[in-house]
Amino acid sequence: MTSVVVISAGLSQPSSTRLLADKLSQAVTGADVTVVELRDLAQDITNHLLTGFPSPALGSVLAQVVAADGLIAVTPIFSASYSGLFKSFFDLLDPGVLEGKPVLIAATGGSARHSLALEHAVRPLFSYLKAVVVPTAVYAASEDWASSGDSELAGRVRRAGAQLTALMAGVSAAPKAKDPFEDFVPFAEMLKK
Amino acid sequence: MQFGVFTVGDVTPDPTTGVEPTERERIKAMVSIAQKAEEVGLDVFATGEHHNPPFVPSSPTTLLGYIAATTEKIILSTSTTLITTNDPVKIAEDYAMLQQLADGRVDLVMGRGNTGPVYPWFGQDIRNGIDLALENYALLRRLWTEDVVDWEGKFRTPLKGFTATPRPLDGIPPFVWHGSIRSPEIAEQAAYYGDGFLHNHIFWPAEHTARMVKFYRQRFSHYGHGTPEQAIVGLGGQFFMRKKSQDAVKEFRPYFDNAPVYGHGPSLEDFSQHTPLTVGSPQQVIDRTLSFREYVGDYQRQLFLIDHAGLPLKTVLEQLDQLGEILPTLRAEFASRRAPGTPDAPTHAARLAASVASGQNTIEDASELASVSSGE
Repeated sequence: MTSVVVISAGLSQPSSTRLLADKLSQAVTGADVTVVELRDLAQDITNHLLTGFPSPALGSVLAQVVAADGLIAVTPIFSASYSGLFKSFFDLLDPGVLEGKPVLIAATGGSARHSLALEHAVRPLFSYLKAVVVPTAVYAASEDWASSGDSELAGRVRRAGAQLTALMAGVSAAPKAKDPFEDFVPFAEMLKK
Repeated sequence: MQFGVFTVGDVTPDPTTGVEPTERERIKAMVSIAQKAEEVGLDVFATGEHHNPPFVPSSPTTLLGYIAATTEKIILSTSTTLITTNDPVKIAEDYAMLQQLADGRVDLVMGRGNTGPVYPWFGQDIRNGIDLALENYALLRRLWTEDVVDWEGKFRTPLKGFTATPRPLDGIPPFVWHGSIRSPEIAEQAAYYGDGFLHNHIFWPAEHTARMVKFYRQRFSHYGHGTPEQAIVGLGGQFFMRKKSQDAVKEFRPYFDNAPVYGHGPSLEDFSQHTPLTVGSPQQVIDRTLSFREYVGDYQRQLFLIDHAGLPLKTVLEQLDQLGEILPTLRAEFASRRAPGTPDAPTHAARLAASVASGQNTIEDASELASVSSGE
């Protein structure tokens, strides 16, 4: 079964970011989903930035992200961009590990006026990391949680989930990130470079 | 098994008093630490190399040469020598000179250096770090093993008919270790040449260090230098000890909490759990140090960082006295656990004896190396 890791950077509990993350996870079909709340790892993330190595708990989450077939990354919008905690987490990944990996990006905010932060901040971040970003980015403002019936938000969530599912099916044969100890370059080849 | 200390050579204010040593005081402190290390029976003193404040050791052979003149037995080493930004010709000359003056009491740990701006200051680019380490070291070996060298590479002026002088003492170049925190390429390089591999361990969880060392051992064996268990491994480590464990923790905590490299991050307790840092009683330091061999195997050299975090010289010298007191126990306990056939740590005398006994130079693959590095 394909594996999806959901990174939720909401800070309050309960958080609307987590709520959106859960709706998006449900919209992905046929995948084994693991949800990670960055709040629980906030101290470990700071420590890793300072010491250069992860705690066992954070190390295991980073390994799950590397091994996942797809990601769902959900951040609150702070000051017109992703939150600092969200960025700090992705700063810890080794270069290249998200290359070719399908990523669904989503965000929450107090007002719909900030919805394009997904397009001008979050999408470029994952483009830089060479991930394959799902075309539909999902933004939920406070008012979206109040709409009844089959809301616009629900429609976007379904569409984004279907797109992520399709992308994962398409790239499931893509090479996984290399293990530097298994896929090393023998010395004679290094010297010839 | 060799035991020693290594210094980074940082000028760090003492966080408990705000007192910052002058550069002169720090440099002289490093000399005192080296002399004290010999006095308490340690085998090795190693200095870092840095080219930016707050670090003082930009000129390791000047420092080590001075120490060599005032000591008798201790091996002088580096932690690390920048194989990327130093001219390999100058490394060959400087360390052969030091080796002659110190009667062979010299070896080196090669490292790349991770301070970005240092590369352009010395005309290089950090993105070429691995390639520089490979090419420069290949040249350094030839300069030490071949009397006359013709050479052309990517990163420095070609050499025609060049002889590095002085020649290595007794025709035996200083033993080389390669230090790397996380690059398998460097472990592979150490293995290829049959050189030592030093993992400076101090910021890394045991599983990571174990993986790097295991990889080096397997590749050492692959290249025909012996069994994996015969590879030459060194580790870093760090401690702060007092007779009573609580006293050690109480005294060291403000240093840990404010240290440039440790401070304001994990707690002392968390950091101690995940890295080799041991703050406690002499028995705790003994037990922890003995535990390293459980995940890297029997190894040849253990270096401790003890003059860190702004600790005053007086305290560092007390730490050395205490290390001297537990040294006989450490030696005996490591010896009793050591598997038969484990090689001793390399010394000039032992390598000379082996060279004489075999009737040949100890560097066997010089011609093979020459053909690889010239692209044949």
